[in-house]
Amino acid sequence: MRELFTDILHTEGVSGMMLFSLKGDLIFKEFKSPVNEDPEQQDWSSFIESLEGMRETDLVFEKGRIYIRKTEIGYLVILMALFVPIAMIRLNCDILLPALKQSKSGKKLGRFFKKKAR
Amino acid sequence: MIKNVLLVDDDTEMLHALKEGFKKYQESFAILLAEDGLQALKSLKQNIISLVVTDLKMPNMDGFELLAHIMEHYPDIPVIIITGYSTPEMEQLAHKGGAVGYIAKPFLIENLARQILTTLRKESEGGTLHNVSSGMFLQLIEMEQKTCTIRLEEKPGGKKGILFFRDGELLDARVNNLQGESAAHEIFSWDAVNLSIQNGCALKENKIQSDLQPLILEAMRRKDEEAPEEVPESVMEQIESGGVEPADRLKRLKQRIEEEIGPQCGLEDLYQDEFWDSRVVQLSKAGDFFQLGNFTLGYIDKGDTNDYILIPGQKTTVITVDPKCPRDKILRVISE
Repeated sequence: MRELFTDILHTEGVSGMMLFSLKGDLIFKEFKSPVNEDPEQQDWSSFIESLEGMRETDLVFEKGRIYIRKTEIGYLVILMALFVPIAMIRLNCDILLPALKQSKSGKKLGRFFKKKAR
Repeated sequence: MIKNVLLVDDDTEMLHALKEGFKKYQESFAILLAEDGLQALKSLKQNIISLVVTDLKMPNMDGFELLAHIMEHYPDIPVIIITGYSTPEMEQLAHKGGAVGYIAKPFLIENLARQILTTLRKESEGGTLHNVSSGMFLQLIEMEQKTCTIRLEEKPGGKKGILFFRDGELLDARVNNLQGESAAHEIFSWDAVNLSIQNGCALKENKIQSDLQPLILEAMRRKDEEAPEEVPESVMEQIESGGVEPADRLKRLKQRIEEEIGPQCGLEDLYQDEFWDSRVVQLSKAGDFFQLGNFTLGYIDKGDTNDYILIPGQKTTVITVDPKCPRDKILRVISE
């Protein structure tokens, strides 16, 4: 199921992505280069709560961007550089959503998303 | 998307040896063969070729003539020269003529394969999309006034096509032996495609005079089935402005957006609203975690009749915009 994210991860400027459950549990993570802190050690519940009602969120910071997309199973969080083909990423997410919906109807997410320790 | 590489050499043994040797790369590219420049021209007309590898000394039409023809008629197609009569002058001429690579015979197949793969990778440097529906594809065309070359493969038929855009304007299209508007009609009628985007457009001449919209409409007319209609979005509760009067700074910002983008900017309202403050704090924490610096701007789509642009500050500045607004342009103007 990691192939689902391949197009997004290979997009120029994308540095990583995470998938959170609607409760804020980290389901999947993949980074192109190591991150300073392990996201699994972080409590993301307040952050996920703050996304309540948001379908799509594009956050611009001084040194990068975070694009967040609500899916059937939670929130897809994509880390990227400031200048990226954002429209491409949005379209790739559009394509991804039905596939994630299908994975929801599967038995267990663990079958598809293998947590990768970094 | 499997790409077509055209090998041109009058030495048929060499051609077949190369074809055999490239079998292990068949998931990356397919090989088409031509025994001289004229055969190559025929193949270029009939197929969507991503790369040409050609010998120089050939009967009927030699490698230099072929290179010149490709540069004039298919400037998007890179050419790698292979030759058994290599001299520094010849190499210089090949590069001057537009060749992206030059390899003297004898060479290792792996070296040529590596050069082919490196060159082909540039075709999708702007990203790839798989199984894009026609609706999404049209979005892609409209999305940004981009200068790019888009290569498409129809699903499931496998037809291949190519579109050339300069500043969002469609310059030309090619599919099979069609070119120009007729090729565009064919491509726009495809229901689902895989596509890759190459930044930049090698074409300079505009071979399509029509605007994009009439072309798309004509393609739609030709299509048997209509694109599925979008499901109406649910309208959620509107967020009240809180009655805060926009300050001069806000007025100037509004003015700047309207001036730089024009009436299509879709700007509805601009105000300050404490309602968003706590959310902005939480959102900015994600940036802190990944060391992205200060949170400067956010675009929120809640599925409402308006989308929201947030500018953090003592009180969050909120700009409500039409969801169909050119959001990337607006974000760029505000960021500047």
